[in-house]
Amino acid sequence: MSDNLKDILSNLSPEIDQETLLLYLQNKLSAEKKHEIEKKLLENEFAGDAEEGLREIKDKERIAYMVEMLNRDLKKKLEKKKQRREKMRIKDQPWMYMSVIILILLIVIAYVVIRLYMKSK
Amino acid sequence: MNPEKYRHITDQQLLDSFYTDHNPEWLGILLPRYTLLLLGVCMKYLKNEEEAKDCVQQIFLKVITELKKYRVDYFKSWLYMVAKNHCLMRIRDRQGKIHVELTERYMSTPQEEADMAGLLRNDHVIDLMSQSLSELSPEQKQCVNLFYLQKKSYQEISEQTGFTMLQVKSYIQNGKRNLRLLIEKKLRERK
Repeated sequence: MSDNLKDILSNLSPEIDQETLLLYLQNKLSAEKKHEIEKKLLENEFAGDAEEGLREIKDKERIAYMVEMLNRDLKKKLEKKKQRREKMRIKDQPWMYMSVIILILLIVIAYVVIRLYMKSK
Repeated sequence: MNPEKYRHITDQQLLDSFYTDHNPEWLGILLPRYTLLLLGVCMKYLKNEEEAKDCVQQIFLKVITELKKYRVDYFKSWLYMVAKNHCLMRIRDRQGKIHVELTERYMSTPQEEADMAGLLRNDHVIDLMSQSLSELSPEQKQCVNLFYLQKKSYQEISEQTGFTMLQVKSYIQNGKRNLRLLIEKKLRERK
C-alpha cells in the first residue's frame, strides 16, 4: 500500500521507447503493461502530450508508416547536407594546392632573379 | 541506418559527437528517436495529419539549424519546447492570435527528480499523503485511487466511472499535482 502511495510522487525513469508507445496506442499491450506505460506518461510531459495527439489519428496502424516516411525524409535532407559539406571540402582543396604551387614558383623566381642580379654586379 | 545499432549511445553522447565534428549523421541517429513524439505533439496542437507531418519536417530543419548555433544541455526538454513553440506559431499564423513564446523548461531536470526522491524519503510523507488524498475533489480522488492504488488502466477507469479517457488523464494529472502541493504545504507547516 505505501509503495503504491509512493508511486504517486515518484518521477524517476519516465522514459518510454517509441515501439512500446506505438503498441500501447494500438491496444496491443497487457493491462499490467498498459498501466505501467500510463504511469510513465503522467511523468513524461513530452510523451503525455504526444500520446494525446496520436490518439487523434484514427488509423493507429498508419502511425508507424507516417513515422517511417518522416524518418526517410529526414535522412534524405541530412544526406544532402553531408554531400554539400563534402563538396565544400573538395572545392577548398584545389585552391589550397594552387596557392602552395604559386608560392613555391614565386620563391624560385625570386631566387633566380636575385642570383642573376648578384652575378651582373 | 539501423537504430538498434546505436541504442547504447545516449542522446548526450550523440550531441557531443555532433558538436565535435559537426557531422549531420549524428543528428540522423538522434532525431528519429523523437519522430513519433514530435508527430504526436504536432497532432495535439494542429489536429490535422498533413499539417502535423509538415510541422515535424520543419521542426527537424529548425533543430538542425539551431544546434549548429549553440550548445543544448537538456536535449529532450529543449526539443519539446521547440516543438511546442513551433506549433503555437503555426496556430497564431492560422488564427491571428497572440503568440506566447515558451521559454521555461517544461520537464523536470535530474536535480528536480532528486528533490522529489528526497521528498519520498521523508518518513512523514506517506502519512501526509493518505491524509491529503481525502482532500482532493471527488473525481480526482476516485481516479488517483483507481489508477495508483488499484492499478487500473485509463480505459478501465473510463469504463468504470463514465469519464472520457482525456478526463481520466486530466483528473489523475491534476490530482497528483494537487497532492504534491498539499504535502509540501503540510511539511512547511510542520517545520
